[in-house]
Amino acid sequence: MKRLFALFILLTFVLTLVPVAAQDATEVKVWIAFTDNRLDWAKAKAEEFNAALPQYNVVVEGYSNYEELFNATQLAAEQNALPAIVQYFEVASQDAIDSGYFKPIADAVGDRTEINGIATNLDDFIGPVAAYYTINGKFNSMPWNTSSAIMFSNQTILDKAGVDAPPTTWAEMDAACEKVMAMSDAPQYCFTWPNHGWFFEQWLAQQDAPFANNDNGRTERATEVAFNNDAGVALLSWLKEEKDKGYLYYSGAQGGDSWGTVDQAFQGQQTAMAVYSSSDTAIYTNTGKENGYEVVASFLPYNQDAPGGWTGNLIGGASLWLVDGLSTEVEDGALSFLFWLTNTQNAAEWHQVTGYMPIRLSAVAELEAAGWFTENPNFIVAANQLSESQKTIATAGALMGNFPAIRNIVTNAIDKVLLTADADPKAILDEAAAEANASLAEYNALSAS
Amino acid sequence: MNAATPLIIALVGALIGASFLGWTFRQQGYRMEFGALIGIAAGVVGALLFMMPLDFCMFQAEPDPLFKIDSVDVIFGIMLIAIGLAIVLLPVAAIVRWRASRRSSELLADANAVVPGAFKSRWMPIVLLIPTIAILALFLYYPSLDTIRLSTLLARLGAPRTAFVCVDNYTSLVSNPEYIRSIGITFFIGIAVVVIGLVLSLLIATMAYQPLTGARIYRTLLIWPYAISPAVAGIIFLLMFNPAGGIINYFLDRVGIAPVGWLNDPVAAPWAVIIASIWKSMGFNILFYIAGLQNVPKDLQESAAIDGANVVQRFWYVVIPLLSPITFFLVITNLTYAFFETFGTIDYLTGGGPLKSTMTLMYRVYEVGVVTNDLGKGAAQSIVLFLIVVGLTIFQFGSSGRRVNYGA
Repeated sequence: MKRLFALFILLTFVLTLVPVAAQDATEVKVWIAFTDNRLDWAKAKAEEFNAALPQYNVVVEGYSNYEELFNATQLAAEQNALPAIVQYFEVASQDAIDSGYFKPIADAVGDRTEINGIATNLDDFIGPVAAYYTINGKFNSMPWNTSSAIMFSNQTILDKAGVDAPPTTWAEMDAACEKVMAMSDAPQYCFTWPNHGWFFEQWLAQQDAPFANNDNGRTERATEVAFNNDAGVALLSWLKEEKDKGYLYYSGAQGGDSWGTVDQAFQGQQTAMAVYSSSDTAIYTNTGKENGYEVVASFLPYNQDAPGGWTGNLIGGASLWLVDGLSTEVEDGALSFLFWLTNTQNAAEWHQVTGYMPIRLSAVAELEAAGWFTENPNFIVAANQLSESQKTIATAGALMGNFPAIRNIVTNAIDKVLLTADADPKAILDEAAAEANASLAEYNALSAS
Repeated sequence: MNAATPLIIALVGALIGASFLGWTFRQQGYRMEFGALIGIAAGVVGALLFMMPLDFCMFQAEPDPLFKIDSVDVIFGIMLIAIGLAIVLLPVAAIVRWRASRRSSELLADANAVVPGAFKSRWMPIVLLIPTIAILALFLYYPSLDTIRLSTLLARLGAPRTAFVCVDNYTSLVSNPEYIRSIGITFFIGIAVVVIGLVLSLLIATMAYQPLTGARIYRTLLIWPYAISPAVAGIIFLLMFNPAGGIINYFLDRVGIAPVGWLNDPVAAPWAVIIASIWKSMGFNILFYIAGLQNVPKDLQESAAIDGANVVQRFWYVVIPLLSPITFFLVITNLTYAFFETFGTIDYLTGGGPLKSTMTLMYRVYEVGVVTNDLGKGAAQSIVLFLIVVGLTIFQFGSSGRRVNYGA
């Protein structure tokens, strides 16, 4: 009994000591929407950062997807429990600005050129990225994971079918699929894609068609959606045709859940091609290598019948937002971490381990000098696709309230078109647009100033 | 709003209250005028119970920019007045009857007699209950009441403002064919999970109850799935059911059956949810059935066997009736499970799709309230779901509760 008591005293003593030791460092909480190797990478980087600047303790927490993190952040704000840094996806930009939770990076930096010895060089970001994250003339949030919609092809299957290179247009896709599916040992389907709103937006931008009114919400607040235009109808008609021919595999999963089913189908070689995000270039390429098939990345196939041909693609991914109202120590710690995480060396490494674009000019130069892109041609596809894109209202992407919810309305419409016999894409898109408009009107009634 | 509307409603309430309570008082041998007076007060309170907070919005003449009034709203308003009257008048009537019966049974003289096992002070039980009630009030009753308030608003998480929309969040459900379809889907999935799940569980429990070598190991293994979280079960089944690359279609293909579009065929998808949900809840059911089987007296079965009943007859006429309390308990817990907890499985497996064929009421509440972030509509739908489950439970107790055999 005496021993137990002594142990108890000791335990209490130790337990009171531990927080005291940790309190020395300023805690900087970071919430990101990854749970896979990308979370591991961010955690490893946070440890490196904490070792270099021991006055800070950066803690990275992962959420399973953007949609979930978006909801968690709103709940946390309601309870005054926001972290220092939150990763928000591109379509949540309007909600993020309206919410008032965040502070523009440019405002937080002020006219400082370095914080804790880390350079605050905002002019080193590549053009499209800097343009996308500059809102109202201010550098708003820290770019981190920037990607574009591209296509991965199982070239080993395509070679067998006599298709020398991945198709680039919708018509070429159809022709290639005819050859693939005619083989005796054809895969179960020809191609697949995640039914995520982002791809609909990409295909709309390619045809230079806006998603919302008021110049995609960039000259004035968007009040109505425009996606039920010819470009939207053309896309749904094409997808429907490919699905009905048995070429397109649609898993039935929508939004954040749809990625996994595509991974499984393509990596199990059940499909010859997969439209996907460049974010997973590393995993897709390496899985092919390990399993004896060649994976080739190419531009997202476009509508050859669109009036202007191929206009370009829009940026995707997410950025890191700095929470407003932090104490000076926490804010400086958060800023230091943001600039350190995206410095030349880390930006290049992030690109190499994932496939997200190298967001700094200096990182691109470093990778080029090392011959990275010649050795790994799949990794340059997304960057090329963006740099060759024209700058129009459509390729700038929509800025709109309630966008995450409106994305679900769009994927539901696609679901309906693909799974209903004799579906009329125009009628279904009109219906979806009406629903989206009602949702947008409710958002604007409550949140627009 | 017409200024006379509140007056008319209060008057109607007073009239109904006066006649109802006046009649009740006379029935129980009290003075009718006294009852009528109480009835007027209670009727006014009852009629205005919901109308005052709602500001008589469904009876207003001029249109509001944020909500529109039609006949459905008016009918809903009249229903709310009726419910308000019932909430106030019925308990008053019940108290009157209770007092009358107490008076007539002449037990009043014994009221101060000491009852063994009862508290001496009448305040003591209340003091002892306070901690529990405080916690319930803070974390259950207050949020529930707040849900009612929320259900009359257009509200979004993170939005700086809210707007009052009368009962639109409720009445818009009546004209929403997708919502009506959701009710059907919920009952289909719920009933299939309960019926198939319980039949299978009873069969497996009966087999596992046989005296085999290593029966304990079998029983333990059978209960395992219950320990897995719905989310993990959802992900496991997502990988297995994936129409391209999933292992279930691979095996079907091996035995020569055409692949099934488990996740992208609106006919098959509810079955994927049902199978996953049954698998998940089966361990719990088997556990209870094995416990129940252990309590079935051997001598009853033996005497039935002597009377010439075969195995099937013994099972049907002896074992199943003796298990009825457990079956009744399991029906209720499984129905609650099927209504509320299949949510996690659906979320990871189908996300309500394809073609919204697995959009149960519970999942719809999540879709509307959390994903679309429309708190008002979500609150209204959660209240409707709550009322459905309350109704179902009352029906359960009323119908099958009586047939449950708790033994001699």
